[in-house]
Amino acid sequence: MYDFTEEELNRYSRHILLKDVGVEGQERIRAAKVLIVGAGGLGAPVAMYLAAAGIGKIGIVDGDVVDLSNLQRQIIHTTPDVGRYKVESAKETIQAINPSVEVVTHRDFLMANNALDIISDYDFVVDGTDNFPVKFLINDACVMAGKPFSHGGILRFEGQTFTYVPGSACYRCTFDGPPPAGAVPTCSQAGVLGAIAGMLGTIQAAETLKYFTGVGELLTNKLLTFNAKTMDFRKINLKRHDRCPLCGKNPTVTHLIDYEQATCDLASHKASNK
Amino acid sequence: MANHVLDITNEHCPMTFVKTKLKLAQIAEGDTLEVLLTEGEPLNNLPKSAKEQGYQVLSVTHVEGPVHKVIIQK
Amino acid sequence: MANIIVNGKNQEVTLPLTLVDLIKLNNILQPDMVSIQVNEEFVERSEFETFSLKEGDQVDFLYFMGGGAF
Repeated sequence: MYDFTEEELNRYSRHILLKDVGVEGQERIRAAKVLIVGAGGLGAPVAMYLAAAGIGKIGIVDGDVVDLSNLQRQIIHTTPDVGRYKVESAKETIQAINPSVEVVTHRDFLMANNALDIISDYDFVVDGTDNFPVKFLINDACVMAGKPFSHGGILRFEGQTFTYVPGSACYRCTFDGPPPAGAVPTCSQAGVLGAIAGMLGTIQAAETLKYFTGVGELLTNKLLTFNAKTMDFRKINLKRHDRCPLCGKNPTVTHLIDYEQATCDLASHKASNK
Repeated sequence: MANHVLDITNEHCPMTFVKTKLKLAQIAEGDTLEVLLTEGEPLNNLPKSAKEQGYQVLSVTHVEGPVHKVIIQK
Repeated sequence: MANIIVNGKNQEVTLPLTLVDLIKLNNILQPDMVSIQVNEEFVERSEFETFSLKEGDQVDFLYFMGGGAF
């Protein structure tokens, strides 16, 4: 019981010292298996902090390669990584931070035909993606499979996140479906202050660790939103709705869907790099 | 109710408290832990930290030279 | 004049006021896609035009935030 090496006691000493974590909490962190979907702006800080914390197994899903424009915020990748597959670059950084973390790379995009299979092996899922279709896919798959997850989204100077555990409000309780593909921000609006990704991703990492250690209250049935321009942080109460098309009384969403992806000059430029 | 002994006279803070917490997690409720530590930081910090985190410190006594003994009950 | 709370901040408005009016008044981004809760209850998009606000109502506008950049 609580079989830690001298090196582990030293490495995780700042966790163990916490009354609310201790060796018991660190043991739970070590036994945890977390899937991070997207090794980009949000996935980067999540992966790095979870690796540092000693999460036992981290899975990463991403089919992309590192692009120079990613480096402005995707801090898990460095300049020499440009052109490499993101999952490979991410795995390397994670192992360098903490060699005892088992890293499973899924060099693929999450789709309706693989989502349930991929998430099945994990205890908690983190949404680090940057588009609505896959955010709904993650929501739907996790609700269907009864998997807790952290939802996250950022845009320009703002961020929002909530945590789902079976029975709490899901994404569709608030947004019943993705916006039409033509309604996305125009490319001139599709920017983000790099550090915002760190602000939100780190909150998601903290929620993940709280889930496993049982510390505090999770952001369930709450949407945490912030505006970095004013540094206003707000929590909006959410409710699981009877009318939710997925987790409500009469679900209309009964299988996973691959919604049409948005197109934009920047996105198709990226697509042509594959 | 058993008694256990932990010698951390060669440890520096904060590993002193880390190892104490580890041992406390491993023993049964109601058991006691005799911690041997050195004066200075460990003696100043450990009994206080243990109390702050809800452990019962039964006694703090001088053994010999720089070594002291703290008895904690889980 | 009546007082309502919009996104946590007090706002003075003239009643009667519907949610559609409030959206226009606040220059809401994504007016076709924004989600609205009044007093922590979700309001269906089809009711925005007919939903009438009253004194002390707490309105939260919830936006899609898909991600940072492509």
